[in-house]
Amino acid sequence: MIRYTLRRFLLFLFTLWLLTIVTFSLGFLFPEFKHSDPTVGSYLAYLSAILHGDWGVSMSTGQDVTEQLWIHLGATIELSFLAMLLSLVVAIPLGILAAMNQRSMFDRWVVSAAMTGYSIPVFWLAQLLILLFAVHYDWFAITGQITPLYDIPTRTGAVLVDVMLSDSANASLAFWDAVNHMVLPVIVLAMMPLTMLIRIMRDATLDVLDKNYIKAARARGLSELKLMRRHALPNAMQPLIRQLGLQFSVLMTNALLTEVIFNRLGIGSWLVKSIYERDYPVLQSGLLVFASFILLINLLVELYHAWRYPQVRQELYAEY
Amino acid sequence: MYLLDIRNLSIEMTSPKGKRVKILDKVNLRVHAGEIHSVVGESGSGKSLLAKAILGFINPRWTVTADRLWWNGKDLLSLTPKQRRQVSGRDMAMIFQNPNSYLDPNSTVGEQLAEAIPAGDVRGTFLRRRVDRRTRVKRLLHRVGVRDHEGIMESYPFELSEGIAQKVSIAMAVAHRPKLLIADEPTTAMESSTRGQIYKLLARLSYLQDMSVLLITQDIGSIIPESQHVTMLYCGQLMESGPKDAILNNPRHPYTDSMIRMSMQRLDDLPHKSRLPTLPGSIPTLEHMPIGCRLGPRCPKARKECVQVPRVSKHEQHSFHCHFPLAEDDS
Repeated sequence: MIRYTLRRFLLFLFTLWLLTIVTFSLGFLFPEFKHSDPTVGSYLAYLSAILHGDWGVSMSTGQDVTEQLWIHLGATIELSFLAMLLSLVVAIPLGILAAMNQRSMFDRWVVSAAMTGYSIPVFWLAQLLILLFAVHYDWFAITGQITPLYDIPTRTGAVLVDVMLSDSANASLAFWDAVNHMVLPVIVLAMMPLTMLIRIMRDATLDVLDKNYIKAARARGLSELKLMRRHALPNAMQPLIRQLGLQFSVLMTNALLTEVIFNRLGIGSWLVKSIYERDYPVLQSGLLVFASFILLINLLVELYHAWRYPQVRQELYAEY
Repeated sequence: MYLLDIRNLSIEMTSPKGKRVKILDKVNLRVHAGEIHSVVGESGSGKSLLAKAILGFINPRWTVTADRLWWNGKDLLSLTPKQRRQVSGRDMAMIFQNPNSYLDPNSTVGEQLAEAIPAGDVRGTFLRRRVDRRTRVKRLLHRVGVRDHEGIMESYPFELSEGIAQKVSIAMAVAHRPKLLIADEPTTAMESSTRGQIYKLLARLSYLQDMSVLLITQDIGSIIPESQHVTMLYCGQLMESGPKDAILNNPRHPYTDSMIRMSMQRLDDLPHKSRLPTLPGSIPTLEHMPIGCRLGPRCPKARKECVQVPRVSKHEQHSFHCHFPLAEDDS
C-alpha cells in the first residue's frame, strides 16, 4: 500500500506540473495579453511565484488573487460536497432496493426515472425548478448564498461554515436562510451523479447477488440482513467507489453552470466572470486550482478504493 | 436407519424447445451416517443437480418428485422452503469446485471463518467473545491442516492457493459440525498432490466428526480411496450402485465397466495405434434423450429390450439397472 500510495502521489505531482505549464502558456497564448514570454526563465519565475503563494492581482478588481481564490474554492467545495452527499444518500438505497426487487414495478420506475434524469440538461432542469419552487410556490430563494441582511463576514467562503463561525445574534436564522438558498442548487447539481450512481449501484448489486459467495453464505444459513450488510453491500460498493472520482469531475463541471445560474459565489462563477472580463490572472489561477482540486479528489478516491479493496492493488502489478 | 434415503427422485424441466425432459430419472441414493459415498458421472449426468435437490436449492420452475426424500427419518418434501433451509443450513454443508469464487473477495479469511462459527458456540462476556472466536477460528484452521494460521487469517482469498482456499472452505463448511458434507468436484482443477491432501482431510474429518461425505466426481479413477460406496450416474439415470470394492473389482453394468477400463487402463499397455477403449458416440443433449435405458445407443451390449427402462437387479448391497449385466466374477 505504501508503494502504491507513493506511485499515485508521484503521478499526481507530475500531472500538477504539467498543469502549471498549461496555465503558464495561457499567459502568452492570448492575442491581446502578453503577460509573459515563452521562455524557460519566465516559466521558472512563474513557478516559484505560484509556490510562494503569489498568484497575482486581479485586473478588474485589483484585489489579491490568492485571498479570493480560497474563498471561491471554499464555496464550491461546500456546494459540490453537499450535492455528492445527497446523491450518494439517495442513490445507494434506491439502487439496492431496485436490484433486490428486480423487474418489479418499483425497479422499473427507478430505472426509468434515472434514465430520464440523466437525459435532462442541468441548466434546463435548474430553470424548471426555479419556475416551480421559487417563482410559483415561492419556497426557496434563487440567487446568492444568503440574504445580505444577516451581514455574515465571509471567511472560508463556505457559507454554512461562515455562519457557524460568526458571532451574529441571528446565527440560527441565518443558518436556515443559507440552507434555503442552497436547496435548489444542491438538488440540481446532485441530479447528474444521482442518476448515474443509481444505475451503477443497481447493476453492481445485481452482479454481486449472483456471485457464488453470496449463494454459499445464504446456504450456510446467514440471515438476509447480515448477508446484505456484510457481503453484498461492501462488494457492490466497489464499482461505485471506483466511479466516484469520475462522477465528481462531471459534478464540478456542472457546478460551474449551477453557480452562474443561481448567482452563487464559487470558483465556477468566478471563472466565468473572469472570462467575460478578460481577467487573465484570475483565469490562470482559477483554472489551475479547479483542475488540481479535481485531480486531488480523484487521487483520494483512488487511494481509498485501493485501501478498502486490496484485490485492486494486486491487479495493478503483475499477476503471480 | 439411513442418514439420507432417496427413492425414485425425479426432476423434470421444460427444455428450450418446450419439451418436458427428466433431468433426473428415478434416482436412488442411500447414505449411512459417517460414511463416504462417491457419486460418479460425466458432465450432464445430473450429479450436481442431485446435490442441489438434497440441499433444496432447485429452480422453482422445475418439478421435483420422489417416493421418498428422507433426512434422518424426516420427510424433507413435506417441509416448507423456510424449514428446509433451516435443516440444510444446520445439518448439511457443501464445498465446490472453484473454492475461491465461494469466498468473499474483499474480506479476510479470518473474518469469514469467524462468521461461519455458530453464535451459540462462542462463550464468555462481550469482550471475551472476540478472543474466544479467534481461538475457535485458529482451532478450525488447525483442524483442516493449515499450520500458518496467523498468515492465513490475515490473507484475502485472492492471495491463497487453490489447495489452501479449498481447505478454508472446508473449514467454513465444518464449522457448525454438519452431519453431511456434499463435496461437488472439490479437486477437479487441482494438482494430484493437492488432491491427495484434500481427500485425506475429508476422510479424517468424516472419521473424527462422524460426518457423512457425499463426494461428487466425474472420474471413477479419482474417487476417494476411503469411500465405502459408489453410485454411477449417466444422463440422469442410475446405472449401478454398491460397495466400492464390488463396483471396482466386479462391475456388473457395461457403463461402469467401460468407465473403469477407460480411466484405469495404462496407455502403454495398449497395442500400438489401437483404438482407445471408449464408448462410441457422445453424451446426448437434453432434447435428444434416448427412451428406455439412456445408455442404449452407446452401449456395446444393447439389444432390442433396451428401449424399456431396465428394472433394478440386486445382489446383496450391489444393485444395477441393466437388462444384460456382465457376468458375476466368482474370484
